[in-house]
Amino acid sequence: MSATAKAAYFWRSAVLGLRHSPFVHSVAVSTLAIALFTAGLARGAMRMLDGLKDTLGGEVEVTIYLDDSVTPERGRALASALAERTGGEATWVSPDEALTRLSRELGDLADTVAELPENPLPASVELRVPPPLRSPEKLAALAREARAQEGVTAVDYGEAAVERLSAISRALQVGGGIAFLVIVIATVIITSATLQLAIYARREEIEIQKLVGATDRFVKAPFLIEGLLQGLLGGAVAVIALWAFSRWAGPRVDELFAFLVGPGRSWTLVDGRALVEVMAVGAALGLCGSFVAVGRFLKV
Amino acid sequence: MIQLFHIYKAYPGDPPALSDINLSIDKGEFVFLTGPSGAGKSTLLKLLFLAERPTRGQILIGGRNIARLRDSGIPFLRRNIGVVFQDFKLLPRRTVADNVAFTLDVLGVPRSESRERVMKMLKRVGLEHKADVLPPRLSGGEQQRVVIARALVNDPAILLADEPTGNLDPALTLEIMDLLCDVNVRGTTVVVATHDQSLLERYAKRTIRLERGTIVSDEDGIQAARRVASAG
Ligand SMILES: Nc1ncnc2c1ncn2[C@@H]1O[C@H](COP(=O)(O)OP(=O)(O)OP(=O)(O)O)[C@@H](O)[C@H]1O
Ligand SMILES: [Mg+2]
Repeated sequence: MSATAKAAYFWRSAVLGLRHSPFVHSVAVSTLAIALFTAGLARGAMRMLDGLKDTLGGEVEVTIYLDDSVTPERGRALASALAERTGGEATWVSPDEALTRLSRELGDLADTVAELPENPLPASVELRVPPPLRSPEKLAALAREARAQEGVTAVDYGEAAVERLSAISRALQVGGGIAFLVIVIATVIITSATLQLAIYARREEIEIQKLVGATDRFVKAPFLIEGLLQGLLGGAVAVIALWAFSRWAGPRVDELFAFLVGPGRSWTLVDGRALVEVMAVGAALGLCGSFVAVGRFLKV
Repeated sequence: MIQLFHIYKAYPGDPPALSDINLSIDKGEFVFLTGPSGAGKSTLLKLLFLAERPTRGQILIGGRNIARLRDSGIPFLRRNIGVVFQDFKLLPRRTVADNVAFTLDVLGVPRSESRERVMKMLKRVGLEHKADVLPPRLSGGEQQRVVIARALVNDPAILLADEPTGNLDPALTLEIMDLLCDVNVRGTTVVVATHDQSLLERYAKRTIRLERGTIVSDEDGIQAARRVASAG
Protein backbone atom coordinates (compact mmCIF):
# COMPACT_ATOMS: atom_id res chain seq x y z
CA MET A 1 0.00 0.00 0.00
CA SER A 2 2.79 2.31 0.93
CA ALA A 3 4.69 1.26 -2.19
CA THR A 4 1.76 1.99 -4.49
CA ALA A 5 1.22 5.33 -2.78
CA LYS A 6 4.87 6.16 -3.41
CA ALA A 7 4.65 5.03 -7.02
CA ALA A 8 1.58 7.22 -7.46
CA TYR A 9 3.49 10.10 -5.93
CA PHE A 10 6.47 9.58 -8.27
CA TRP A 11 4.28 9.60 -11.35
CA ARG A 12 2.37 12.61 -10.17
CA SER A 13 5.59 14.38 -9.44
CA ALA A 14 7.10 13.44 -12.81
CA VAL A 15 4.05 14.56 -14.75
CA LEU A 16 4.02 17.77 -12.76
CA GLY A 17 7.66 18.22 -13.72
CA LEU A 18 6.84 17.82 -17.40
CA ARG A 19 4.01 20.31 -17.17
CA HIS A 20 6.09 22.66 -15.11
CA SER A 21 8.54 23.51 -17.89
CA PRO A 22 6.87 22.44 -21.13
CA PHE A 23 9.31 24.25 -23.36
CA VAL A 24 12.46 22.64 -22.04
CA HIS A 25 10.87 19.23 -22.08
CA SER A 26 9.47 19.66 -25.56
CA VAL A 27 13.02 20.36 -26.76
CA ALA A 28 14.11 17.04 -25.32
CA VAL A 29 11.07 15.24 -26.68
CA SER A 30 11.53 16.64 -30.19
CA THR A 31 15.22 15.79 -30.17
CA LEU A 32 14.38 12.26 -29.19
CA ALA A 33 11.61 12.13 -31.78
CA ILE A 34 13.88 13.36 -34.58
CA ALA A 35 16.58 10.90 -33.61
CA LEU A 36 14.16 8.00 -33.45
CA PHE A 37 12.48 9.03 -36.70
CA THR A 38 15.85 9.07 -38.45
CA ALA A 39 16.77 5.74 -36.97
CA GLY A 40 13.41 4.33 -38.04
CA LEU A 41 13.95 5.58 -41.59
CA ALA A 42 17.43 4.08 -41.73
CA ARG A 43 16.06 0.82 -40.45
CA GLY A 44 13.31 0.86 -43.06
CA ALA A 45 15.79 1.59 -45.85
CA MET A 46 18.03 -1.19 -44.65
CA ARG A 47 15.21 -3.66 -44.62
CA MET A 48 14.15 -2.57 -48.08
CA LEU A 49 17.66 -3.18 -49.35
CA ASP A 50 17.87 -6.52 -47.65
CA GLY A 51 14.62 -7.46 -49.31
CA LEU A 52 16.00 -6.38 -52.65
CA LYS A 53 19.19 -8.31 -52.13
CA ASP A 54 17.28 -11.42 -51.22
CA THR A 55 15.14 -11.21 -54.32
CA LEU A 56 18.09 -10.60 -56.56
CA GLY A 57 20.14 -13.07 -54.58
CA GLY A 58 17.56 -15.76 -55.26
CA GLU A 59 18.49 -15.48 -58.90
CA VAL A 60 22.20 -15.46 -58.53
CA GLU A 61 23.28 -17.63 -61.34
CA VAL A 62 26.68 -18.14 -62.85
CA THR A 63 26.79 -18.97 -66.51
CA ILE A 64 29.93 -20.64 -67.76
CA TYR A 65 30.30 -20.58 -71.54
CA LEU A 66 32.11 -23.46 -73.15
CA ASP A 67 33.86 -23.59 -76.47
CA ASP A 68 32.86 -25.96 -79.26
CA SER A 69 35.61 -28.45 -78.46
CA VAL A 70 33.89 -29.46 -75.25
CA THR A 71 31.79 -32.59 -75.75
CA PRO A 72 28.35 -32.88 -74.14
CA GLU A 73 29.75 -35.60 -71.86
CA ARG A 74 32.51 -33.35 -70.60
CA GLY A 75 30.03 -30.51 -70.27
CA ARG A 76 27.78 -32.63 -68.07
CA ALA A 77 30.72 -33.87 -66.06
CA LEU A 78 31.80 -30.29 -65.54
CA ALA A 79 28.31 -29.38 -64.35
CA SER A 80 28.09 -32.19 -61.85
CA ALA A 81 31.60 -31.43 -60.57
CA LEU A 82 30.58 -27.82 -60.04
CA ALA A 83 27.36 -28.83 -58.34
CA GLU A 84 29.29 -31.06 -56.00
CA ARG A 85 31.90 -28.41 -55.23
CA THR A 86 29.46 -25.62 -54.49
CA GLY A 87 26.47 -27.50 -53.18
CA GLY A 88 24.30 -25.70 -55.75
CA GLU A 89 22.45 -26.89 -58.80
CA ALA A 90 24.29 -27.00 -62.09
CA THR A 91 22.97 -27.96 -65.49
CA TRP A 92 24.56 -28.30 -68.86
CA VAL A 93 22.74 -26.36 -71.56
CA SER A 94 23.31 -27.44 -75.10
CA PRO A 95 23.57 -24.88 -77.89
CA ASP A 96 20.24 -26.07 -79.26
CA GLU A 97 18.49 -25.60 -75.97
CA ALA A 98 20.01 -22.18 -75.62
CA LEU A 99 18.66 -21.25 -79.02
CA THR A 100 15.20 -22.58 -78.18
CA ARG A 101 15.17 -20.48 -75.04
CA LEU A 102 16.30 -17.44 -76.91
CA SER A 103 13.58 -17.71 -79.48
CA ARG A 104 11.04 -18.23 -76.73
CA GLU A 105 12.23 -15.11 -74.99
CA LEU A 106 12.22 -13.10 -78.16
CA GLY A 107 8.59 -13.96 -78.80
CA ASP A 108 7.49 -12.08 -81.95
CA LEU A 109 11.05 -11.85 -83.15
CA ALA A 110 11.56 -15.61 -82.99
CA ASP A 111 11.41 -15.79 -86.78
CA THR A 112 14.72 -14.02 -87.05
CA VAL A 113 16.30 -16.78 -85.04
CA ALA A 114 14.84 -19.42 -87.29
CA GLU A 115 16.37 -17.69 -90.25
CA LEU A 116 19.89 -17.96 -88.88
CA PRO A 117 22.14 -20.09 -91.06
CA GLU A 118 23.67 -21.83 -88.08
CA ASN A 119 23.37 -21.77 -84.30
CA PRO A 120 25.65 -19.00 -83.02
CA LEU A 121 25.18 -19.88 -79.38
CA PRO A 122 27.75 -21.81 -77.38
CA ALA A 123 27.06 -24.55 -74.91
CA SER A 124 27.12 -23.51 -71.29
CA VAL A 125 26.86 -24.69 -67.72
CA GLU A 126 24.38 -22.83 -65.56
CA LEU A 127 25.05 -22.83 -61.85
CA ARG A 128 22.42 -21.75 -59.36
CA VAL A 129 24.57 -20.43 -56.55
CA PRO A 130 23.60 -21.49 -53.03
CA PRO A 131 23.15 -18.68 -50.42
CA PRO A 132 26.49 -19.15 -48.60
CA LEU A 133 28.40 -18.34 -51.79
CA ARG A 134 26.38 -15.30 -52.80
CA SER A 135 28.73 -12.60 -51.56
CA PRO A 136 30.57 -10.63 -54.23
CA GLU A 137 33.97 -11.95 -53.12
CA LYS A 138 32.93 -15.58 -53.23
CA LEU A 139 31.19 -15.17 -56.56
CA ALA A 140 34.30 -13.57 -57.99
CA ALA A 141 36.45 -16.42 -56.70
CA LEU A 142 34.07 -18.97 -58.17
CA ALA A 143 34.13 -17.19 -61.52
CA ARG A 144 37.93 -17.10 -61.52
CA GLU A 145 38.11 -20.78 -60.73
CA ALA A 146 35.66 -21.65 -63.49
CA ARG A 147 37.47 -19.49 -66.01
CA ALA A 148 40.68 -21.37 -65.35
CA GLN A 149 39.14 -24.66 -66.51
CA GLU A 150 39.96 -25.94 -69.94
CA GLY A 151 37.38 -25.18 -72.60
CA VAL A 152 35.79 -22.31 -70.72
CA THR A 153 35.53 -19.18 -72.80
CA ALA A 154 33.72 -16.83 -70.46
CA VAL A 155 31.99 -16.65 -67.12
CA ASP A 156 29.08 -14.39 -66.49
CA TYR A 157 27.21 -13.45 -63.37
CA GLY A 158 25.29 -10.37 -62.25
CA GLU A 159 28.42 -9.05 -60.71
CA ALA A 160 27.73 -5.37 -61.09
CA ALA A 161 24.29 -5.52 -59.50
CA VAL A 162 25.28 -7.82 -56.68
CA GLU A 163 28.38 -5.85 -55.87
CA ARG A 164 26.63 -2.53 -55.90
CA LEU A 165 23.83 -3.72 -53.66
CA SER A 166 26.21 -5.25 -51.19
CA ALA A 167 28.30 -2.11 -51.15
CA ILE A 168 25.25 0.03 -50.52
CA SER A 169 24.03 -2.20 -47.77
CA ARG A 170 27.49 -2.29 -46.17
CA ALA A 171 27.77 1.47 -46.35
CA LEU A 172 24.31 1.81 -44.87
CA GLN A 173 25.22 -0.53 -42.07
CA VAL A 174 28.43 1.29 -41.19
CA GLY A 175 26.91 4.73 -41.70
CA GLY A 176 23.80 3.72 -39.81
CA GLY A 177 25.89 2.37 -36.95
CA ILE A 178 27.92 5.56 -36.66
CA ALA A 179 24.84 7.75 -37.00
CA PHE A 180 23.06 5.71 -34.39
CA LEU A 181 25.96 6.10 -31.97
CA VAL A 182 26.04 9.85 -32.55
CA ILE A 183 22.30 10.01 -32.05
CA VAL A 184 22.49 8.00 -28.85
CA ILE A 185 25.18 10.25 -27.38
CA ALA A 186 23.48 13.46 -28.52
CA THR A 187 20.06 12.51 -27.20
CA VAL A 188 21.46 11.31 -23.89
CA ILE A 189 23.30 14.60 -23.50
CA ILE A 190 20.21 16.62 -24.35
CA THR A 191 17.80 14.70 -22.16
CA SER A 192 20.24 14.82 -19.29
CA ALA A 193 20.65 18.57 -19.78
CA THR A 194 16.90 19.13 -19.65
CA LEU A 195 16.66 17.01 -16.55
CA GLN A 196 19.49 18.96 -15.02
CA LEU A 197 17.33 22.04 -15.53
CA ALA A 198 14.38 20.20 -14.02
CA ILE A 199 16.45 19.27 -11.00
CA TYR A 200 17.63 22.86 -10.67
CA ALA A 201 14.09 24.17 -10.94
CA ARG A 202 13.04 21.89 -8.12
CA ARG A 203 16.00 22.32 -5.81
CA GLU A 204 13.80 23.85 -3.11
CA GLU A 205 11.46 20.93 -3.27
CA ILE A 206 14.40 18.56 -3.02
CA GLU A 207 15.75 20.45 -0.04
CA ILE A 208 12.41 20.18 1.74
CA GLN A 209 12.06 16.52 0.84
CA LYS A 210 15.37 15.83 2.47
CA LEU A 211 14.42 17.92 5.47
CA VAL A 212 11.33 15.83 6.09
CA GLY A 213 13.17 12.55 5.69
CA ALA A 214 13.08 11.49 2.06
CA THR A 215 15.60 8.83 1.06
CA ASP A 216 17.93 9.36 -1.90
CA ARG A 217 15.93 6.98 -3.98
CA PHE A 218 12.71 8.79 -3.21
CA VAL A 219 14.23 12.08 -4.34
CA LYS A 220 15.66 10.58 -7.52
CA ALA A 221 12.78 8.41 -8.70
CA PRO A 222 10.57 11.18 -10.15
CA PHE A 223 13.42 12.41 -12.32
CA LEU A 224 14.08 8.93 -13.65
CA ILE A 225 10.40 8.64 -14.48
CA GLU A 226 10.50 12.06 -16.10
CA GLY A 227 13.29 10.84 -18.37
CA LEU A 228 11.36 7.69 -19.14
CA LEU A 229 8.27 9.74 -20.02
CA GLN A 230 10.34 11.97 -22.28
CA GLY A 231 11.65 8.89 -24.05
CA LEU A 232 8.21 7.37 -24.48
CA LEU A 233 6.75 10.65 -25.73
CA GLY A 234 9.64 11.05 -28.18
CA GLY A 235 9.08 7.48 -29.31
CA ALA A 236 5.37 8.06 -29.81
CA VAL A 237 5.97 11.19 -31.87
CA ALA A 238 8.55 9.32 -33.96
CA VAL A 239 6.16 6.42 -34.57
CA ILE A 240 3.45 8.81 -35.72
CA ALA A 241 5.90 10.62 -38.00
CA LEU A 242 7.18 7.34 -39.43
CA TRP A 243 3.65 6.16 -40.03
CA ALA A 244 2.76 9.40 -41.82
CA PHE A 245 5.94 9.26 -43.86
CA SER A 246 5.44 5.70 -44.89
CA ARG A 247 1.84 6.43 -45.90
CA TRP A 248 3.21 9.13 -48.13
CA ALA A 249 6.29 7.33 -49.43
CA GLY A 250 5.03 3.76 -49.36
CA PRO A 251 3.21 3.77 -52.73
CA ARG A 252 6.21 5.37 -54.42
CA VAL A 253 8.59 2.83 -52.98
CA ASP A 254 6.25 0.01 -53.94
CA GLU A 255 6.29 1.27 -57.51
CA LEU A 256 10.05 1.22 -57.49
CA PHE A 257 10.00 -2.27 -56.13
CA ALA A 258 7.51 -3.41 -58.72
CA PHE A 259 9.77 -2.02 -61.40
CA LEU A 260 12.87 -3.72 -60.02
CA VAL A 261 11.70 -7.10 -58.88
CA GLY A 262 8.12 -7.44 -59.84
CA PRO A 263 4.89 -6.51 -58.03
CA GLY A 264 3.41 -8.03 -54.96
CA ARG A 265 5.49 -6.36 -52.24
CA SER A 266 4.49 -3.58 -50.02
CA TRP A 267 6.78 -1.44 -48.00
CA THR A 268 6.02 0.09 -44.64
CA LEU A 269 8.10 1.69 -41.89
CA VAL A 270 5.73 0.95 -39.06
CA ASP A 271 4.88 -2.60 -38.24
CA GLY A 272 4.39 -4.07 -34.79
CA ARG A 273 8.05 -4.75 -34.33
CA ALA A 274 9.14 -1.29 -35.41
CA LEU A 275 6.64 0.21 -33.00
CA VAL A 276 7.96 -1.78 -30.08
CA GLU A 277 11.57 -1.13 -31.05
CA VAL A 278 11.18 2.62 -31.45
CA MET A 279 9.32 2.95 -28.14
CA ALA A 280 11.83 0.75 -26.34
CA VAL A 281 14.83 2.62 -27.72
CA GLY A 282 13.15 5.92 -26.81
CA ALA A 283 12.48 4.74 -23.27
CA ALA A 284 16.04 3.49 -22.92
CA LEU A 285 17.49 6.77 -24.19
CA GLY A 286 15.29 8.82 -21.85
CA LEU A 287 16.23 6.65 -18.90
CA CYS A 288 19.93 6.88 -19.76
CA GLY A 289 19.69 10.66 -19.91
CA SER A 290 17.98 10.83 -16.55
CA PHE A 291 20.48 8.43 -14.96
CA VAL A 292 23.29 10.66 -16.15
CA ALA A 293 21.55 13.79 -14.87
CA VAL A 294 20.63 12.29 -11.53
CA GLY A 295 24.10 10.84 -11.06
CA ARG A 296 25.88 14.06 -11.91
CA PHE A 297 23.64 16.80 -10.63
CA LEU A 298 21.68 15.37 -7.77
CA LYS A 299 24.04 15.10 -4.87
CA VAL A 300 21.84 13.94 -2.06
CA MET B 1 15.51 12.20 24.82
CA ILE B 2 18.42 14.34 23.60
CA GLN B 3 21.89 14.09 25.15
CA LEU B 4 25.12 15.72 24.02
CA PHE B 5 28.50 14.68 25.35
CA HIS B 6 31.63 16.73 24.68
CA ILE B 7 30.39 18.00 21.37
CA TYR B 8 32.78 19.99 19.23
CA LYS B 9 31.96 21.45 15.86
CA ALA B 10 34.46 23.31 13.73
CA TYR B 11 33.69 24.54 10.23
CA PRO B 12 36.78 24.31 8.03
CA GLY B 13 38.98 27.35 8.47
CA ASP B 14 36.97 28.93 11.30
CA PRO B 15 37.48 28.83 15.05
CA PRO B 16 35.22 26.13 16.52
CA ALA B 17 31.52 27.05 16.34
CA LEU B 18 30.84 24.78 19.31
CA SER B 19 33.24 23.43 21.90
CA ASP B 20 32.69 20.89 24.62
CA ILE B 21 28.91 21.11 24.72
CA ASN B 22 27.28 18.84 27.30
CA LEU B 23 23.56 18.89 27.81
CA SER B 24 20.55 16.73 28.31
CA ILE B 25 16.96 17.44 27.30
CA ASP B 26 14.19 15.23 28.63
CA LYS B 27 11.20 13.91 26.78
CA GLY B 28 8.43 16.51 26.73
CA GLU B 29 10.64 19.43 27.70
CA PHE B 30 10.43 22.91 26.19
CA VAL B 31 13.85 24.50 25.82
CA PHE B 32 14.99 27.92 24.61
CA LEU B 33 18.43 28.13 23.08
CA THR B 34 19.67 31.69 23.21
CA GLY B 35 22.79 33.81 22.91
CA PRO B 36 24.26 36.50 20.66
CA SER B 37 24.56 36.18 16.93
CA GLY B 38 27.27 33.71 15.97
CA ALA B 39 27.11 31.93 19.34
CA GLY B 40 26.35 28.60 17.66
CA LYS B 41 22.59 28.18 18.19
CA SER B 42 21.81 27.22 14.61
CA THR B 43 24.85 24.97 14.49
CA LEU B 44 23.66 23.11 17.57
CA LEU B 45 20.23 22.53 16.04
CA LYS B 46 21.76 21.41 12.76
CA LEU B 47 23.73 18.76 14.60
CA LEU B 48 20.52 17.36 16.02
CA PHE B 49 18.99 16.56 12.62
CA LEU B 50 22.35 15.83 11.04
CA ALA B 51 22.36 18.76 8.64
CA GLU B 52 25.90 18.97 10.00
CA ARG B 53 28.06 16.33 11.62
CA PRO B 54 29.86 17.00 14.89
CA THR B 55 33.64 17.14 14.67
CA ARG B 56 33.90 15.27 17.93
CA GLY B 57 31.62 13.95 20.65
CA GLN B 58 28.43 11.94 20.98
CA ILE B 59 24.82 12.85 20.38
CA LEU B 60 22.22 10.47 21.70
CA ILE B 61 18.67 10.81 20.47
CA GLY B 62 16.27 8.31 21.96
CA GLY B 63 19.32 6.38 23.19
CA ARG B 64 21.00 6.10 19.79
CA ASN B 65 24.34 7.69 18.99
CA ILE B 66 23.50 9.61 15.85
CA ALA B 67 27.01 11.00 15.48
CA ARG B 68 27.86 7.61 14.06
CA LEU B 69 24.73 7.21 11.94
CA ARG B 70 25.42 6.32 8.32
CA ASP B 71 24.20 8.76 5.64
CA SER B 72 21.58 6.27 4.56
CA GLY B 73 20.13 6.37 8.07
CA ILE B 74 19.63 10.15 8.11
CA PRO B 75 16.19 10.12 6.42
CA PHE B 76 14.84 7.82 9.10
CA LEU B 77 16.16 10.04 11.88
CA ARG B 78 14.52 13.05 10.25
CA ARG B 79 11.15 11.38 10.08
CA ASN B 80 11.08 11.61 13.82
CA ILE B 81 12.18 15.24 14.03
CA GLY B 82 10.16 18.21 12.82
CA VAL B 83 12.15 21.25 11.74
CA VAL B 84 10.99 24.88 11.44
CA PHE B 85 13.12 27.72 10.13
CA GLN B 86 12.92 31.47 10.10
CA ASP B 87 12.46 31.55 6.35
CA PHE B 88 9.47 29.42 5.77
CA LYS B 89 10.62 27.16 2.94
CA LEU B 90 7.17 26.53 1.56
CA LEU B 91 6.66 25.56 -2.08
CA PRO B 92 4.95 28.62 -3.57
CA ARG B 93 3.17 26.75 -6.34
CA ARG B 94 1.65 24.02 -4.21
CA THR B 95 -1.39 24.56 -2.08
CA VAL B 96 -1.16 24.79 1.68
CA ALA B 97 -2.55 21.28 1.99
CA ASP B 98 -0.03 19.91 -0.51
CA ASN B 99 2.80 21.59 1.34
CA VAL B 100 1.75 19.95 4.57
CA ALA B 101 1.15 16.61 2.85
CA PHE B 102 4.76 16.67 1.66
CA THR B 103 5.94 15.05 4.88
CA LEU B 104 3.46 12.21 4.44
CA ASP B 105 4.21 11.76 0.73
CA VAL B 106 7.78 10.94 1.67
CA LEU B 107 6.51 8.20 3.99
CA GLY B 108 4.31 6.74 1.27
CA VAL B 109 1.02 7.55 2.99
CA PRO B 110 -1.78 7.21 0.42
CA ARG B 111 -3.40 10.45 -0.66
CA SER B 112 -6.80 9.59 0.75
CA GLU B 113 -5.44 8.99 4.24
CA SER B 114 -2.97 11.83 3.98
CA ARG B 115 -5.68 14.37 3.17
CA GLU B 116 -7.52 13.52 6.35
CA ARG B 117 -4.43 13.88 8.55
CA VAL B 118 -3.45 17.11 6.81
CA MET B 119 -6.86 18.65 7.42
CA LYS B 120 -6.74 17.66 11.07
CA MET B 121 -3.32 19.25 11.41
CA LEU B 122 -4.40 22.42 9.61
CA LYS B 123 -7.33 22.67 11.96
CA ARG B 124 -4.93 22.47 14.88
CA VAL B 125 -2.96 25.46 13.58
CA GLY B 126 -6.20 27.25 12.69
CA LEU B 127 -5.81 27.17 8.92
CA GLU B 128 -8.31 24.59 7.73
CA HIS B 129 -10.08 27.26 5.68
CA LYS B 130 -6.85 28.01 3.77
CA ALA B 131 -6.13 24.43 2.70
CA ASP B 132 -6.40 25.11 -1.02
CA VAL B 133 -4.72 28.49 -1.06
CA LEU B 134 -1.19 29.04 -2.41
CA PRO B 135 1.34 30.08 0.28
CA PRO B 136 2.26 33.49 -1.20
CA ARG B 137 -1.30 34.60 -0.48
CA LEU B 138 -0.90 33.98 3.25
CA SER B 139 0.44 36.34 5.90
CA GLY B 140 3.85 35.64 7.45
CA GLY B 141 2.29 34.21 10.58
CA GLU B 142 0.00 31.97 8.56
CA GLN B 143 2.91 30.77 6.47
CA GLN B 144 4.86 29.90 9.58
CA ARG B 145 1.86 28.00 10.92
CA VAL B 146 1.80 25.99 7.69
CA VAL B 147 5.48 25.17 8.21
CA ILE B 148 4.74 24.03 11.76
CA ALA B 149 1.87 21.91 10.47
CA ARG B 150 4.24 20.34 7.93
CA ALA B 151 6.76 19.62 10.68
CA LEU B 152 4.16 18.07 12.97
CA VAL B 153 1.77 16.22 10.67
CA ASN B 154 3.89 13.10 11.01
CA ASP B 155 3.74 13.30 14.82
CA PRO B 156 7.48 13.55 15.44
CA ALA B 157 8.86 13.16 18.95
CA ILE B 158 10.98 16.30 18.63
CA LEU B 159 10.34 19.72 17.11
CA LEU B 160 13.34 21.96 16.39
CA ALA B 161 12.66 25.61 15.58
CA ASP B 162 15.39 28.04 14.51
CA GLU B 163 14.23 31.65 15.02
CA PRO B 164 10.66 30.66 14.14
CA THR B 165 9.42 34.18 14.82
CA GLY B 166 12.39 36.04 13.37
CA ASN B 167 10.41 37.40 10.44
CA LEU B 168 7.19 38.13 12.30
CA ASP B 169 5.74 41.17 14.06
CA PRO B 170 5.06 40.96 17.83
CA ALA B 171 1.41 39.88 17.55
CA LEU B 172 2.21 37.07 15.11
CA THR B 173 5.21 36.11 17.24
CA LEU B 174 2.93 35.43 20.18
CA GLU B 175 0.56 33.50 17.95
CA ILE B 176 3.37 31.20 16.85
CA MET B 177 4.85 30.84 20.33
CA ASP B 178 1.46 29.92 21.76
CA LEU B 179 1.17 27.29 19.08
CA LEU B 180 4.59 25.86 19.96
CA CYS B 181 3.65 25.74 23.65
CA ASP B 182 0.46 23.93 22.73
CA VAL B 183 2.47 21.41 20.71
CA ASN B 184 4.70 20.90 23.72
CA VAL B 185 1.75 20.40 26.05
CA ARG B 186 0.60 17.58 23.78
CA GLY B 187 3.88 15.79 24.41
CA THR B 188 6.35 16.86 21.75
CA THR B 189 9.83 17.84 22.91
CA VAL B 190 10.41 21.38 21.62
CA VAL B 191 13.73 23.20 21.18
CA VAL B 192 13.54 26.84 20.06
CA ALA B 193 16.57 28.92 19.14
CA THR B 194 15.94 32.63 19.56
CA HIS B 195 17.71 35.82 20.51
CA ASP B 196 14.42 37.54 21.32
CA GLN B 197 14.81 38.44 25.01
CA SER B 198 11.14 39.30 25.41
CA LEU B 199 10.14 35.76 24.53
CA LEU B 200 12.40 34.32 27.19
CA GLU B 201 10.79 36.57 29.79
CA ARG B 202 7.24 36.05 28.67
CA TYR B 203 7.37 32.28 28.47
CA ALA B 204 9.74 31.49 31.35
CA LYS B 205 10.95 28.10 30.11
CA ARG B 206 14.23 26.30 30.50
CA THR B 207 16.83 28.51 28.82
CA ILE B 208 20.28 27.45 27.62
CA ARG B 209 22.54 30.39 26.84
CA LEU B 210 25.41 29.98 24.38
CA GLU B 211 28.29 32.38 23.91
CA ARG B 212 31.10 31.83 21.46
CA GLY B 213 30.33 28.17 21.17
CA THR B 214 30.05 27.23 24.82
CA ILE B 215 27.19 26.99 27.28
CA VAL B 216 27.40 29.87 29.74
CA SER B 217 24.19 29.22 31.63
CA ASP B 218 21.37 26.71 31.80
CA GLU B 219 18.43 27.63 33.99
CA ASP B 220 15.25 25.63 34.33
CA GLY B 221 11.75 27.03 34.00
CA ILE B 222 11.30 27.73 37.71
CA GLN B 223 14.56 29.67 37.93
CA ALA B 224 13.61 31.57 34.80
CA ALA B 225 10.20 32.44 36.22
CA ARG B 226 11.76 33.57 39.49
CA ARG B 227 14.29 35.77 37.72
CA VAL B 228 11.58 37.34 35.61
CA ALA B 229 9.42 37.96 38.66
CA SER B 230 12.21 39.60 40.67
CA ALA B 231 13.24 41.71 37.71
CA GLY B 232 9.64 42.81 37.04
N1 LIG C 1 28.14 26.61 7.03
C1 LIG C 1 29.08 27.29 7.74
N2 LIG C 1 30.33 27.33 7.29
C2 LIG C 1 31.27 27.98 8.01
N3 LIG C 1 31.04 28.60 9.15
C3 LIG C 1 29.80 28.59 9.65
C4 LIG C 1 28.75 27.92 8.97
N4 LIG C 1 27.60 28.06 9.68
C5 LIG C 1 27.96 28.77 10.77
N5 LIG C 1 29.26 29.09 10.74
C6 LIG C 1 29.97 29.81 11.79
O1 LIG C 1 29.74 29.18 13.02
C7 LIG C 1 29.50 30.13 14.03
C8 LIG C 1 28.15 29.88 14.69
O2 LIG C 1 27.14 30.12 13.73
P1 LIG C 1 25.60 29.86 14.02
O3 LIG C 1 24.87 30.07 12.74
O4 LIG C 1 25.45 28.56 14.68
O5 LIG C 1 25.27 31.02 15.02
P2 LIG C 1 23.86 31.47 15.62
O6 LIG C 1 24.00 31.43 17.06
O7 LIG C 1 22.79 30.69 15.01
O8 LIG C 1 23.78 32.97 15.13
P3 LIG C 1 22.48 33.80 14.70
O9 LIG C 1 21.83 34.23 15.94
O10 LIG C 1 23.04 34.96 13.94
O11 LIG C 1 21.62 32.92 13.87
C9 LIG C 1 29.59 31.48 13.37
O12 LIG C 1 30.88 32.01 13.63
C10 LIG C 1 29.44 31.21 11.92
O13 LIG C 1 30.22 32.11 11.16
MG1 LIG D 1 21.15 31.08 13.70
